[in-house]
Formats: sequence, structure tokens, C-alpha cells
Amino acid sequence: MRARTLPLALLLTSAILAGGLATLAWGELGVRLPDLAEAVRGEAGTKTVFVLERLRGPRLLVGIGAGLAFGLAGALFQTVTRNPLGSPDVIGLGAGAGAGVALATLFAPGLVPAPVGAVLGAGVAIGLVHLSTGLGFASPARVIITGIGVSAMATAATQYVVAVALRDSSTQLAGYLVGTLNSRSLGQAVLIGVILLVLAPLLALLAHDLRMMDLGDQLADALGARAVRTRTWAILLSVLLAAAGVAVAGPIAFVALSAPHIARRMVGSPGPHLVLSALVGALIMVLADFAVQHVGPVQDLPVGVITAGFGGVYLGYLLITAWKKADA
Amino acid sequence: MSAASSQSTSLSLEHATVAYGERPVLDGLDFAVPHGRFTAVIGPNGCGKSTMLKTLARTLRPRAGAALLDGRPLGEWRSKAVARRIALLPQDPVVPEGITVRALVARGRHPYHSPWRQRLPGDDEAVDAALAATGVAELAAQSVEGLSGGQRQRVWIAMVLAQDTEFVLLDEPTSFLDVAHQIDVLHLCQDMRAQGRSVLAVLHDLNQASRYADHLVVMHAGSIVATGSPAEVLTRDLVADVFDLDAEIAADPQSGTPMVVPLRRG
Repeated sequence: MRARTLPLALLLTSAILAGGLATLAWGELGVRLPDLAEAVRGEAGTKTVFVLERLRGPRLLVGIGAGLAFGLAGALFQTVTRNPLGSPDVIGLGAGAGAGVALATLFAPGLVPAPVGAVLGAGVAIGLVHLSTGLGFASPARVIITGIGVSAMATAATQYVVAVALRDSSTQLAGYLVGTLNSRSLGQAVLIGVILLVLAPLLALLAHDLRMMDLGDQLADALGARAVRTRTWAILLSVLLAAAGVAVAGPIAFVALSAPHIARRMVGSPGPHLVLSALVGALIMVLADFAVQHVGPVQDLPVGVITAGFGGVYLGYLLITAWKKADA
Repeated sequence: MSAASSQSTSLSLEHATVAYGERPVLDGLDFAVPHGRFTAVIGPNGCGKSTMLKTLARTLRPRAGAALLDGRPLGEWRSKAVARRIALLPQDPVVPEGITVRALVARGRHPYHSPWRQRLPGDDEAVDAALAATGVAELAAQSVEGLSGGQRQRVWIAMVLAQDTEFVLLDEPTSFLDVAHQIDVLHLCQDMRAQGRSVLAVLHDLNQASRYADHLVVMHAGSIVATGSPAEVLTRDLVADVFDLDAEIAADPQSGTPMVVPLRRG
């Protein structure tokens, strides 16, 4: 870890903890610090236990886990495609997941649970991209152009299902199409936690060669960083992480896209900044979830609406500064 | 800096055929990088100069034949092991956003690191020496994006030096530079040779190649048509055949090496 990474990581972790505690403590059902201490000792009342284990605890943990996964996914993807607007969503992951849920609900109602449909749809979309480029994930430009195409097709499939076939259940589906943390279970929190733990050592190994990718393929190769191999692994891990996030929280928009940028700006030096991107992703999720639980005007919206709004504004800012820089 | 150059080491092509799509760019080429010399590869556009360099650097793989390091195909070596022996400076390398001169030069140490050892005791010394040798030590803390083209090229060469390899391959290192900085880069190539490295550079300017390199390789249509010292190679006939240029060969007033002077239209 570089000199500035550690203090920033500590700062972000504290912010995530503070945001998390505030989310738990706010409002009528709030679980405050003394209640938490009681719960840890196993002495908490049934109300506290219910709020912690059923209402606010799981969604907080799922939010943090999904945020970490999306942040990592975006950092990996942007580094190896050398595209600041790259994220697994750009190559159709979110749209594919949405289409998967919609089609599963249409053709196998009640048989295929929504998260399974999401992961299947995401897998099919990414598989299509991999096949259609003709070069796998070797060429960043082809991956992104094909991804935009696959993404558009998936969105069209979803819209067809929602508009024509599923008028009745579309409200319920809507939460899944934008991503939500409502009614999460501890099982989902464990799922995302285990996936992160399993992938963490692979990420640590990959990070070494990943740092050379911003020099271009030729130089990365010349320095022994095996550009095509590193890119293929990075996209694969990025897709797995994002799919895991989608499985527990739905295709939440823009976290994967914006978290790495914010992390990079905080450090001010080039690099994938995996740890910081993950933490920024988690912080965005915690803050967005706090908003939909406790902030009047946006209360009860799916959390994906908040991240999309936030991300849209950020994306606009990014494009404008990039254009200004290009004109200067 | 150590750049061992015992005669047992070699970097060569053996009947190498390299093609983009169907069109072979190199057709059964044999070549060995001359040891401990500064070799310039010259030839008209599209003759396969860069392709040969990239094949020697393992960026391109031969479709038939082989690129060999110490007699063993490059593809059988571990990537990091190759990167400790052969450095490549591409024609138009990408500058990472916001990187400082020192951080960029330190990238040259990557082949010596692993996920378990990301810093080694000799790293700082190697980077300092590379910065000093290329005259960019005082720029170390600056952002590379803010540098002029000539300074930037020195920084890239410093990165290659920090890599501390016996073979240094440079793809058109003087293109896009004004003439003073071109000469700078050629001097740095001579310095690298003086350290015992084998330097192979694709150059466009025949007179610069003749004056600064001690060995020339002339390519034409995917083959090597002449090799040797500039005095042996650069003749009126060769320039006419390979470059389709009528020229007189005069002696360079400074170095005495052959100088190609195109004939006036007439």
C-alpha cells in the first residue's frame, strides 16, 4: 500500500461505520449504541433483535458488501479497458441481469427466484459479448462497443416484458430492475461476504500486474505484466463481483462507474486503487441507503434510484471536465 | 548498473514469418541482435522494421519459425524473465494520467517484483541512476504530462534504463522530436551501448543512423538486404535500390561516416 492509501482507507472505513451506525440508530425503530452493546452480549430486547436481524441489519450489510463488490468491479474494469466510463454495466451486465429477472418472471413465474434470473441474465449478456468480439476480452474497444449493443438488446427485452406481458407484476419487478435493499436477509449478507472473501486473494495477486496496464499493452507486456492475460482475468473477476452485487441487491447503477473515479481523485496518483474504490463503493451504498430509509423526500425509493441520480450528476460532471480538458 | 554481455547470450530470429492477417510482413527472416553494439534498423516505410522489433520483444509471435533468447523460444520463457533481459520502448507509449517522472521511471523495476515482493533493496538506486544518466533527476517530482516531447522521451529512456536489461529495443525513438532532442536520444543510445547493452533502434534518418550507430541493418520488403558498418552498407546503389532515391554518398564533415546527399532535380 502506498503512503496515502492507508490514511484514506481508515478515513473511508470510519465514514462507512459512522454512516452505518447512523442508519441503524435513526428514527423510531432506531438501534442505538447502548442497544448494540446489549445485542452483542445477547441481552437485547425482542424489538432490537428484530430490527437488527430482520429490518436494518441485513440491508446494511448487503449494502456494504454490494458496494465493495461494485467498487472493485469498476476499478478492475476501468483499469484494463483504459476507459474512464467503463464499468461492467457498460458491457451489459446490469441490463442483462434485468432482462434475466424479467424473462424468468415471464416464463417461469415462481420457479426461478429473481436473483438467480439476474445472475443468469448477466452471465448470458457477458457471454454474448465475449463471443461476439471475436477476440474474447482482449480488445477494450471491441468489448465496449459489443457491450453497448448487447446492453441495448437486453434493455429492449426487459421493456418488452414489462410493457406487454407483466403489467400486473411490473411494480414489484421495478425494484429489481433498478436495485433495492428492501427486505434483505442475513443469508444474502453472508453470500456477498463469502464471495468477497473468496475473490480477495485473487484480486491481491492480480493487482501486481494490473498496475502496469495504464502504460498500454505493449509496454505492459514488455515489463512482464502479460496484458491480454491480465485483462481477461480482470474482466472475469469484475463480472463475477458485479454479478454477486446484482444477485444480492439488483443492478444498482453507477456505483461501479463512479467509485473508482472518486478514489483516484482522493489519492491523486494513477493506479487501480482497488481497496479505496471498494470502500468508496460501500460508502456510497451506505449513504444512499440512509437516504431512502430516513430522508423524507426520497424515502422508500429503491436505493438504485438514488445511486443513479447521484451517478448521473457525477457522470455529467466527468464528461464536462473531460471536454474542457480536451479543449484547453 | 550491471549489464552483463557475455557472448553466451543471444536474441535472434530464426526463419521467422510474421503476418497481419494473410499478408506476411516478415517472410522467413534470420537475424541476431549484434552484441554490445548500437544497431540501427533502417528501411522504407512498411518494410517490416517495427514488426521485426516487436517480434524480438515478444509483442508479436511468429506464425512460423521462432524468436529465440539464448536459443530458447521467447514463448517458453516466463514473461518476467524476458522482461529482465529485453526492454522495449514502443513508438507512442501511453503516459498514465497524473504520474510523476519518478513513479514512471520506477515502473521499469516491475520485472524484478512479484505479488509477494513489491519493493526490493536495489530499486531506489536503479531509479536514481536512470534519472541521473538521462539528465532528468531534477524533474523527478514533476508530472510527466507537463513535460515537453524531448524531456518526455528522456523519461521513457530512463524507465528502460531502470529495467536494467542487456537488450534494449527502441521503436523510432527520435520520431516526433525536434532535431536537438533527436541528437540527445542518439547520445543516450550510445551511452547505453557504452554500458555494455545491446541497443537496437528503428531510425528514419539515414545520416543520423550512419553517424551514431555502429552497425546498420537495412530492410526492404520484409527481408534484410544488408548488414554491416555504415561505411560498408551505405552505398549509392543500396540507397537507389532500397529507398528509390538517387543520392551521392559524401563523407560527414564531423565524423567521416557516409552521408546520403540526395541529387538535385534536374
